[in-house]
Amino acid sequence: MIEPVVKEVTVPADPEAAFARFTEGLDLWWPRGTHSVSEAECASVGMEGREGGAIFEVDRSGTRHVWGTIREWIPPRVVSFTWHPGRAPDTRQTVLVTFEAAEEGTRVRLEHRGWEALGDEARATRDEYDTGWTGVLADYTRSLMAGV
Amino acid sequence: MRAPAQILDALSDPTRRRILELIRGRARSVSEVVRMLPVSQPAVSQHLRVLREAGLVRAEKKGRSRIYHLRAQGLEPLGRYVASFWEGALDAYRASFDDPHDREEEGP
Repeated sequence: MIEPVVKEVTVPADPEAAFARFTEGLDLWWPRGTHSVSEAECASVGMEGREGGAIFEVDRSGTRHVWGTIREWIPPRVVSFTWHPGRAPDTRQTVLVTFEAAEEGTRVRLEHRGWEALGDEARATRDEYDTGWTGVLADYTRSLMAGV
Repeated sequence: MRAPAQILDALSDPTRRRILELIRGRARSVSEVVRMLPVSQPAVSQHLRVLREAGLVRAEKKGRSRIYHLRAQGLEPLGRYVASFWEGALDAYRASFDDPHDREEEGP
């Protein structure tokens, strides 16, 4: 088994606000110019807040690219979803994000696993995400610090 | 005391359920809720009005803004309504247990 990527950040917000920002507020902080299928052509990203809801981007031509599907939706504690941006759904991995109240705000833990579905690309993709999630979660944390 | 139907109507909208979930832990102002959900201020105010009329939230004036609190007791009529089905299910179960001829697998 290829070990999961696990990241943890503490954000200055209560769990409800941290959860809402991560999910329905995705477009407010996601680095869509670099972390998307259409990159510079990416117009918006979003997450439909319900079990079975899509995580998606919309490019400037209006085409929607689905990144994954929400499997568990338990605000403000847990959201988990399948994940296959830019790839066929049968390469999907799983991302689990949990939110736990901490003294200084909320501890957010992200676990990305199921790399085996990527076959030959599994190891390299995992290493990219290991760096990638650190930057993405830094953007998420910053957006909550700004209090916007 | 509101009718269960009015409470169900209020809860039938996913955005209104999200608003209730957001103020469950602590009271929040309209602008705070607006920052948390991808919904405009007029829409949030409208949803809060429906929730208030259904007895599920109460507004507290604080300076120039209003802070919304969850009224958990407002869910009581709906809770009792749902529980009444459960009591019915228990009665039916008991009845089928008492009557040995009333077993599905035996057929007509």
